[in-house]
Amino acid sequence: MLERCFGGRRLLKVKRLLRNGKLTLLCLALTVVVIRGYLGAGKFGTPQQDFREIRNRFSRRQAEPRRVLEEAGAGAGAAAEEKRSYGDVDIKTIWIDEDEEPERSDPNRPYTLGPKISDWDERRARWLKKNPNCPNFLRPDKPRVLLATGSSPKPCENPVGDHYLLKALKNKIDYCRLHGIEIFYNMALLDAEMAGFWAKLPLIRKLLISHPDIEFLWWMDSDAMFTDMAFEIPWERYRDSNFVMHGWDHMVYGQKNWIGLNTGSFLLRNCQWSLDILDAWAPMGPLKVREEAGKMLARELKDRPPFEADDQSAIVYLLVKEKDKWADKVYLESAYYLHGYWGILVDRFEEMMENYHPGLGDHRWPLVTHFVGCKPCGKFGDYPVERCLKQMDRAFNFADNQVLQIYGFMHKSLDNRKVKRTRNETDKPLEIKDKFGLIHPAFKAVKVSSS
Amino acid sequence: MGHLTGLNRFSAAGDGLPTAAARHRATRSRRGFGNIRLTIICALITILVLRGTVGVNRIFPDAAATTAEAELHRLVQEANLLTAKIRSDDDGSDDPPDEKSESNSTYILGPKISGWDGARKTWLHRNPNFPSHVNGEARVLLVTGSPPTPCDNSIGDHYLLKSVKNKIDYYWIHGIQIVYNLAHLDAKLTGYWAKLLLIRRLMLAHPEVEWIWWIDSDAMFTDMAFEIPFQKYNHHNLVLHGYPDLLFDQKSWIALNTGSFLLRNCQWSLDLLDAWAPMGLRGRVRDEAGKILMKNLEGRPAFEADDQSALIYLLITRKDEWMDKIFVENSYYLHGYWVGLVDKYEEMAGKYHPGLGDERWPFGTHFVGCKPCNSYGDYPAEKCLRSMERAFNFADNQVLEFYGFGHRGLLSPKVKSIKNETATPLSTVEKLRRPK
Repeated sequence: MLERCFGGRRLLKVKRLLRNGKLTLLCLALTVVVIRGYLGAGKFGTPQQDFREIRNRFSRRQAEPRRVLEEAGAGAGAAAEEKRSYGDVDIKTIWIDEDEEPERSDPNRPYTLGPKISDWDERRARWLKKNPNCPNFLRPDKPRVLLATGSSPKPCENPVGDHYLLKALKNKIDYCRLHGIEIFYNMALLDAEMAGFWAKLPLIRKLLISHPDIEFLWWMDSDAMFTDMAFEIPWERYRDSNFVMHGWDHMVYGQKNWIGLNTGSFLLRNCQWSLDILDAWAPMGPLKVREEAGKMLARELKDRPPFEADDQSAIVYLLVKEKDKWADKVYLESAYYLHGYWGILVDRFEEMMENYHPGLGDHRWPLVTHFVGCKPCGKFGDYPVERCLKQMDRAFNFADNQVLQIYGFMHKSLDNRKVKRTRNETDKPLEIKDKFGLIHPAFKAVKVSSS
Repeated sequence: MGHLTGLNRFSAAGDGLPTAAARHRATRSRRGFGNIRLTIICALITILVLRGTVGVNRIFPDAAATTAEAELHRLVQEANLLTAKIRSDDDGSDDPPDEKSESNSTYILGPKISGWDGARKTWLHRNPNFPSHVNGEARVLLVTGSPPTPCDNSIGDHYLLKSVKNKIDYYWIHGIQIVYNLAHLDAKLTGYWAKLLLIRRLMLAHPEVEWIWWIDSDAMFTDMAFEIPFQKYNHHNLVLHGYPDLLFDQKSWIALNTGSFLLRNCQWSLDLLDAWAPMGLRGRVRDEAGKILMKNLEGRPAFEADDQSALIYLLITRKDEWMDKIFVENSYYLHGYWVGLVDKYEEMAGKYHPGLGDERWPFGTHFVGCKPCNSYGDYPAEKCLRSMERAFNFADNQVLEFYGFGHRGLLSPKVKSIKNETATPLSTVEKLRRPK
């Protein structure tokens, strides 16, 4: 039939044309597919957009409520610019430093935390006398304590790091509220020379001299959590001490072990002695000397690996070298976990809940669980990320249970964020017993005047 | 045509004329070549497409990639997987509400409590060391919170952290206690409704607390010196920012803002919470209530019932029952809508001073609509982030100034010294915190 239409010769031509055309059409189709896949085709969309559209059309998810509020009288606030998701924005592009980098201090002058103060005890005593409504003791056995902690003002490199910082902060807020302790969260690097673990030294000094009514400053790392909400520090025990850390005398003075004590959680009294020890502690901290100092510390201290000087090794070295000067006012506490290394604690939480109760503070129910080495905010830690984060969740829930039980709730399990009720609702809420004495403890009682 | 000539020559080796078989072979060869051409082209295109999508270059890794890079890549992968797992785990989509029960019952926050004022008074009398007023000032409990799961993106968690730090600073300066909630206490009252149950629980557990101050996680204090004038509210039980004319004349859904409000610990408040809660019951009730609210409130878009609209509707429909104990405050920014405020911080710092709390130096700056914990909000992400950073630093400067520091610009996380260090601290009478 075709032969009759076109004639023999023409038919051949048509067939050749068709054969070539087949090839051309195939190439054309492939080109279109590839281009559409990579570049998109404007309003015709990309395959991914097609997929999304199909999914949305058939999905039964509710549309998220839009809460566009325009205050009466305010200017037209509707966003004319293209909306971008938070995931698209690089926070670094938002920062602007308006001033010049401050001048570096003279490299030949030795580093100091600030001008030497020699009469702090007298100054402080005078101030306290002039300000009787800002006493340094809330009760005879209860000093005014400020818990200081902090983190970088920049987002964590680990995408869930900030979430864990938030949880750790909530945990500290809870403990401090229950124990009448004030809290300061620092996000400012006060001295660029003392970045990293050394940043706490300028901060502590600044807080001590700015707040003379504070009797003790309690430094706590951002990767440490309270796990005993009922335990109250035995303040009386430290009546004659100025510096309390978790550790062991024999490991520090005997073995010169760099983990003979821990500076992740410590108490420092607000006095001249403390300003002096901060001054003596600081010299290994500045960036320019840290490497050399680190090498020296690795040589001098037992088991210390070689890395830049850290505040913990430096204080061990200082205490050993100048024992006569400092040791009598330093209390190395090991009766309870002022700092508790997480590795030996976290797997035992269920066992603790079974056998013991809050208020012990020691290996049976640790006061503090400190995730040394996990570094949830950074890219690299010393332990597998999954184990660290999972255990931090467990420690958080273990502590949170002790707070939630006040209100009649607890987590479904230590691995679970969800909570469940532990008691039936009642119409007589004031008759509920405060099991661990957390809501209205004696040390939070206010002195009532007899007038 | 050369190949054909060659083929012809080959086949014509014998007598010079192409045989039929030879012709047939030539045709087949031509066709073969055509097919081969087609095949080669298709193969090339396949490789290109594959390379683009699957990445053939992954089969032949760059030999020059260092071990550190590979390790970093592995760690980032691990972190990303873990992040996804954490976010998807227990993502707050709790057990769906029981359809049978919700149709019949009106949701209640708990057993009806009557006589709370008397019970509380008795308790305070028996516990004189936990008074509701200390040194003549009411005991206040600040309450805020956020979901238990990580935000959809990490920047959201970072701003939650900054927002909490901001609140800690304010509460430390003013001697207020703070509760930060990270638990979903009831699957039926999720989202913005969760605060109702939380507030009720806290009131009943803390009879010594006179005022509960709820504040959203996306609101920041920007006047660190401003004191709430509690004396002004001696005869009121609920204080929130708003405009009475918008409320009763226009019935606008933004006449009041429930992002920051004060609620007295008393029987009236428990009753209000009970009357407020029913529209919040998750599921059909909340959806239907949303439709009612949309119909009755000016400007309200269509979405499920929210606590703010529900309260406005309650007050409009039962004005005589509730309004006499409610103070609609607009003489200072108990809630300050961020748009229009954040651009003026430099001007404020130049002309005014902290302690005013109003449009000259706003007490609160509330980032409604930004939703940094979600993937996106109602405003461009960059604008929100820039504004939140400015608000945070504006407030932080008021704290840092006491220590002799300040941010190097409202968009800078870095600080600089603004006062020389002294060897004689305490020689000035400045105080950051109010005595308690």
